[in-house]
Amino acid sequence: MHAIEVSHLTKKFGALTALNDVNFSVDVGETFGFLGPNGAGKTTTIRILTGISYPTSGTATIFGHDIGSDTIAARLSMGIVSETSNVYDDLTAWQNMIFSAELYHVGRVEREKKAAELLTTFDLYERRNDKVHGFSKGMKRRLTIAMGLVNSPRLLFLDEPTSGLDVQSNLIIRDVITGLIHEGVTVFLTTHNIEEANLMCDRVAIVNRGHIAAIDAPERLKKTIQSAQSIVVSFDRVSARQLEEVRSLPMVNDAIKEGDKFRLYTEDPATVIESVMEYARTRNLRVISISTLGPSLEDVFIKLTGLQRTGGAIHAID
Amino acid sequence: MPSTEEGKAGAWFARVSHEISAAWAISRKDMITYYIKPNIIVMGILFPFFMFLAFAIGKNAPPGTLIPGLIAITLLFSASSIEPVSIPIERRVKTFDRLLSAPISLHSLVFGESLSGFLYSLGIACFPLIVGIILFATPIEHVPVLVIAMALTAFCFATLGTLFAAYPTENVGEVMSMLNTVRLPLIFISGVFIPLSAMPQIGQDIALLSPLTYGNDMIAYAYTGTSLFSPLLDILVLVIFILIFQFAANRLYKRFNE
Repeated sequence: MHAIEVSHLTKKFGALTALNDVNFSVDVGETFGFLGPNGAGKTTTIRILTGISYPTSGTATIFGHDIGSDTIAARLSMGIVSETSNVYDDLTAWQNMIFSAELYHVGRVEREKKAAELLTTFDLYERRNDKVHGFSKGMKRRLTIAMGLVNSPRLLFLDEPTSGLDVQSNLIIRDVITGLIHEGVTVFLTTHNIEEANLMCDRVAIVNRGHIAAIDAPERLKKTIQSAQSIVVSFDRVSARQLEEVRSLPMVNDAIKEGDKFRLYTEDPATVIESVMEYARTRNLRVISISTLGPSLEDVFIKLTGLQRTGGAIHAID
Repeated sequence: MPSTEEGKAGAWFARVSHEISAAWAISRKDMITYYIKPNIIVMGILFPFFMFLAFAIGKNAPPGTLIPGLIAITLLFSASSIEPVSIPIERRVKTFDRLLSAPISLHSLVFGESLSGFLYSLGIACFPLIVGIILFATPIEHVPVLVIAMALTAFCFATLGTLFAAYPTENVGEVMSMLNTVRLPLIFISGVFIPLSAMPQIGQDIALLSPLTYGNDMIAYAYTGTSLFSPLLDILVLVIFILIFQFAANRLYKRFNE
């Protein structure tokens, strides 16, 4: 039995097809990343898998329970952490936890024990009796995740868990998620942070325009685009024209500036390294560091979604 | 070892108990978050009170005879105002998704939301009730009937408010304006200010479609011992309205989430 099994899932909003015959499964204990640009169908998929929305056709099961016809049994095994920190500002952290536990049928004794344990884990126990409206963004995010874990779920939906957070919150959240993964909790992770997906996920699905463009382990996905290799180089001096100059070197397909470094995309790293050294010599520059990188998951994502990288950011092609 | 039938019954009771407990949790959350606040309580009392004064002054009726009508419109306005405020706000801050994705039935969610409006409005309606007793020594002929009448009327209008709040908007004003197009006419055609017998035939026919007619009629019976319909008929019709609003709300919440 799979933790999640999605079969021929289609969702239409009038003339717009948000999901088109989507099929995938997630094994028990697996950490599954769901990546895609805005509007690709990620949120629609999560809303269907959590029973908030209904598919136009197709089925989805959670641990064998059909989300459409056996909704409550399916939901009892899941924890949901939405993209927005949807906590009640006028309740205290403790009241938020208890309310969430009551919705998930956690018994009275158990809910208090679990609430105390989770608030401690997320470093919020000292603030448990404070109303949430005084909490920072990171504290609210931690509380949201704690609320999603109050029923000890076997499957956790995490939508952008660490987006835009402070370092402390980020570390706590990543530690907790890593702990859950080791405990065998199945994690369905939606994130814009491709590196996070690369590090945490056993497999990722890349969704684009309502279709699954690829599903595989991150390393295997990278092997599908070996041509997208790159050289990362830094010089002792940086000038405004340097990016354009390195981009025009022979065999360089594209170049971006990453902090004080330049990343040059190529299919022929050896030739580009020679060109870079020659470029440095003619400009009287000293090469501080130079290294060759294989394709990243972000490269795979860009290739499969048809997006474009400009100036270090990823954009849709109009 | 329990038989299969006993096992099924046990599972059913456990499920019902969970659903009631979750509905109560939603209701309690709503009360703490939105309603047990001084400004909301004062508004709940003042709005129907001044609205009533605006129409009742100059009628030369003894103040005591106006109390049943004041209780009826207090119940109408306070019970139906609750969810049209809280649900759009919850949609805006995305906490409503938390409720929609919880392991509870949509019926329990609708019931829990209505329950908070019901409790809030019963609390608010105690104000004109107490004013009637203390200031005007208004006699109550049938106290149990008054309790049932207030409870059913409050729940009926709380469910009406939950039904209107199903409209998928994050804007409180949008829901309130739709609701007011229904509830403001109700106070004129339900015998609160003008006795039904004094209305033209078409008005009397339309009055039969208003739940406020039956709530007001039953509250008047509890105070005076006289009414247009039998209290049992009033109860039956109010229960039917509650069921219609509950099932319609359930259907709309499901539909608008598709």
